[in-house]
Amino acid sequence: MRKTSLGLLAATALAAAGIATGASAQDVLKIGAASAQTGGLAPYDGPAMEGFKMAVDEINAAGGIGGKYMIELEIIDIRSDAAQTAIAAQELLDGGINVLITPSDADPSFAAAALATEAQVPAFSPGASSPTLPLMGGDYMFANFPGDNVQATVSASWAIEQGFKNAYILYSPDTQYTTLPLYFSDVFAALGGTVAGQGTYVIGQQDFSAEITKIKALDPPVDVVMTAAYEPDFPAFVRQLRAAGITAQVIGSDGIDSPTTFSLGDAAEGVVFTTAGHPTPGSDLEAFFAKFEEVYGRPADTIFAAVGYDLMKVIEAGVLAADSVEGAAIRDAVAELEDVKGVTSAITYKGTTGMPVRQVTLIRVKDGERELVGQPSPDPALVPAPRMQ
Amino acid sequence: MQARTWIGIAGYVALLLGGAVVATLIGGSAERVLIVFFVSLIAVLGMGIYSGNSGILSFGHLAFMGIAAYLSGILTMPVQMKQVSLANLPAFLGEANMGLLGATVIAVIFAMVVALVVGIVISRLEGSAATIATLGLLVIVHGVIIGARDFTRGSQSFFGVPRLTDLWVAAGCAVLAIVIARLYRDSVLGLKLRAGRDDGLAAGAMGVNVRRQRLIAWVISAGIVALSGVLLGHFLGAFSVKKFYFVDTFALLAMLIVGGMATVTGALAGAILITIVTEVLRRLESGLVIFGYELPDMFGSTNIGIGLIILFVMWKRAGGIFDRLEWDELIFRRTRTAAAPEEMPHAAEEGHTLRAEKVTKAFDGLIAVNEVSVAVGQSEIVGLIGPNGSGKTTLLNVLSGVLPVTSGRVFLDDDDVTGASSARLAGLGIGRTFQNIRLFTSLSVKQNVAVAALRQWPAASGADEKVAAALAAMGLTDKADTQASTLSYGDQRRVEIARALALEPRFLFLDEPAAGMNREETDALMADLKGLCQTRGMGILIVDHDLPLIMRLCERVVVMNEGRVIAEGEPAAVQKDPGVVEAYLGAKGSQQVADALSS
Repeated sequence: MRKTSLGLLAATALAAAGIATGASAQDVLKIGAASAQTGGLAPYDGPAMEGFKMAVDEINAAGGIGGKYMIELEIIDIRSDAAQTAIAAQELLDGGINVLITPSDADPSFAAAALATEAQVPAFSPGASSPTLPLMGGDYMFANFPGDNVQATVSASWAIEQGFKNAYILYSPDTQYTTLPLYFSDVFAALGGTVAGQGTYVIGQQDFSAEITKIKALDPPVDVVMTAAYEPDFPAFVRQLRAAGITAQVIGSDGIDSPTTFSLGDAAEGVVFTTAGHPTPGSDLEAFFAKFEEVYGRPADTIFAAVGYDLMKVIEAGVLAADSVEGAAIRDAVAELEDVKGVTSAITYKGTTGMPVRQVTLIRVKDGERELVGQPSPDPALVPAPRMQ
Repeated sequence: MQARTWIGIAGYVALLLGGAVVATLIGGSAERVLIVFFVSLIAVLGMGIYSGNSGILSFGHLAFMGIAAYLSGILTMPVQMKQVSLANLPAFLGEANMGLLGATVIAVIFAMVVALVVGIVISRLEGSAATIATLGLLVIVHGVIIGARDFTRGSQSFFGVPRLTDLWVAAGCAVLAIVIARLYRDSVLGLKLRAGRDDGLAAGAMGVNVRRQRLIAWVISAGIVALSGVLLGHFLGAFSVKKFYFVDTFALLAMLIVGGMATVTGALAGAILITIVTEVLRRLESGLVIFGYELPDMFGSTNIGIGLIILFVMWKRAGGIFDRLEWDELIFRRTRTAAAPEEMPHAAEEGHTLRAEKVTKAFDGLIAVNEVSVAVGQSEIVGLIGPNGSGKTTLLNVLSGVLPVTSGRVFLDDDDVTGASSARLAGLGIGRTFQNIRLFTSLSVKQNVAVAALRQWPAASGADEKVAAALAAMGLTDKADTQASTLSYGDQRRVEIARALALEPRFLFLDEPAAGMNREETDALMADLKGLCQTRGMGILIVDHDLPLIMRLCERVVVMNEGRVIAEGEPAAVQKDPGVVEAYLGAKGSQQVADALSS
């Protein structure tokens, strides 16, 4: 064990040296992103980092955060893999970053959370919505998306308001996020609805005939089907569901807020899902999408670009409040932030465990376009407690 | 074990530890790159123990890596963490809280037990069937890990593993793995498996139980790969089942194939090369500025780069960079050969006979050997002649266990050995050569002979002397360190005979031993054979088309045609047999043939 302690000593010395150099260059905020630029999470992390970069460029063009701290951004692709996330996060932390960005899903983010906490560097996931992430990930782990339990409360409340009584939920135990329907089930039942059945699937399953047979066999017939499946499972599921003649209302969540959902034609017509925002005319989000198209020469297509942009605004607010780029100071400042003005919503961390309080938007797919259903505030008493499942 | 092996090992260890010291001095990311390198190297060495020595590519070894990573992670994870993230663990696992060493030992042993069970099936398969079976193993274990949610969190992240793998732990394990891999390769077991890789049929005929050797290598290699899995899990702290699937299998196989499967040096070279290329390309992925030009991000270029390297190496050097020889074998070509003993070892007791009774061998409809009865006695040289396709070689294959008999019986003395494997018959004292030379092409002359001499290892010693005696008997002593496949045709035939002699056979089957030799070489060979027959008391059964040779050498001649024995007796009598002459040239040419035979 002597060797180990010597190695540790050396590492500590080097880390100290790293912090020392960081401190001397006071005017730079180093942000490292272990981000899924390829693989299954790329449809979320790709736009998120594009939006994030837009904010970085805007802030730097204006002379840095508060005219004081210029931002340096480094992105490493983690190929949607937990192990690669751990390696990339460690490498970025070795490089002396002040803030770490993790992938848009709780699972790989867990791999980075422990490292960030150990290094006392605040870590943020742009798109992870599992409330267990900041809970289990430690004091330095934050998310920037409406939590699964909050989204489920909004969609279940809406379903009850529409008069739906019999629900079927389809979830996958493969990731934290895809278990979101279990929260929906809790709230739907608490509000007097009946959860008539539940089915599970494996991510990437593609063939849902067994589950659909189960749904069809239910008597009385279900009037709402809730799932957090996303690509490629959601398109396959909803097509097969409609092909089987089931007309029940389908409710989804933020994972299907992608151009694919709007290009499914009749199959996805009428689907309602929760997400982080909607560009109503004259809104900040509309202005953001216009600017995005100007910068990148193509439309953003998904809310994740705006969520990425907002995440940088949160970090900016934290650094401003801390007036420091030191990790622990930023972390403490972010934990106290209230009503940070993002393009998707106002964002509050004060009084939370790291899952932000922010608006949830309900969207309906109508004629291949997005239609705003509402942006209700959930009843806090109904929101289920986060749990690992 | 040759002194050369230890020089080789010392070289590797110096390189690994030197790298570790340099990384410690640089610190930070250099240390992490090196830890990942060590973990990969251990996995590649493990895969090489099986694939390199058996010649069977395995896609399945990451299954053992995964099993060990999960099991050891469960054992070392703090109990509190398990209560949250793995709430449904059985109590004995949920309450376990071990150190890295204990968890490693348990995980490695568990993986080896799994390997033993799986290996009993896989070791029976040949070539690509075995490779496909390993692929199946990978897919099955992947599915089981996902299904065993209570133990593994399914396909979700498995996190909370204490990060106990530091540079020196990884370096120490890498040294251990490299020593095991190299010692195995140069051990008797490794030599036998490599012989089986070069020519399974010939290895069997030299007494090697190829399946058992494959199984041993499979289990050892699973243990080494499992070790790398333990280290990987405790380096990352969090991983998912994806880490033990195709992408990483591909990356590790790339190291193995590019470096050269058959050598430890190759595994090391491949791991170094691929690690360097991966590290460089990974940095390029995030964009790069060259001479003021900003290159765009190229996410995904790492795998493409590795693919291109494989293509390039395969094109230029199909066996990999170090395809056959270790670095020390390239530098120190010569080895020590024991002095040939003055006295030839004697085969043994008196009065052995090998008897075939009404042996038949049918291939589907074709009857190649039809109710043939022959016998060979001690110190007797029996010639087996007949036109092409008359069933001579098939008879030898049946008698030596290379082919199973269809009907009839084979007796060695009074023991019924019908249906015995070629390896078992080799053990009972039947040595043979092959019509189309079957040497272990990648091995040296001495190693070829040693495979046979080591048949009784570890029960009997004196293999060095047997090798030296066999080499001396065939006049090959000064060619001992030459690679077998580079020898002349005549010398290759002599190596085959020397190899068979090293079995100390009671009966020796020679299938066209003089083919391709000139008259002087043939005469010298015949003189040697006659001498061996006398001094060692061997019975020899010889097939050749050189009829004058057979007539001079043999005391008795058996003539076959169309699968049957058509004549048997003393050479002088047989060559006058009209049936024999007719079989060779038809009735018309009888007189010319009779003249030719008697001249």
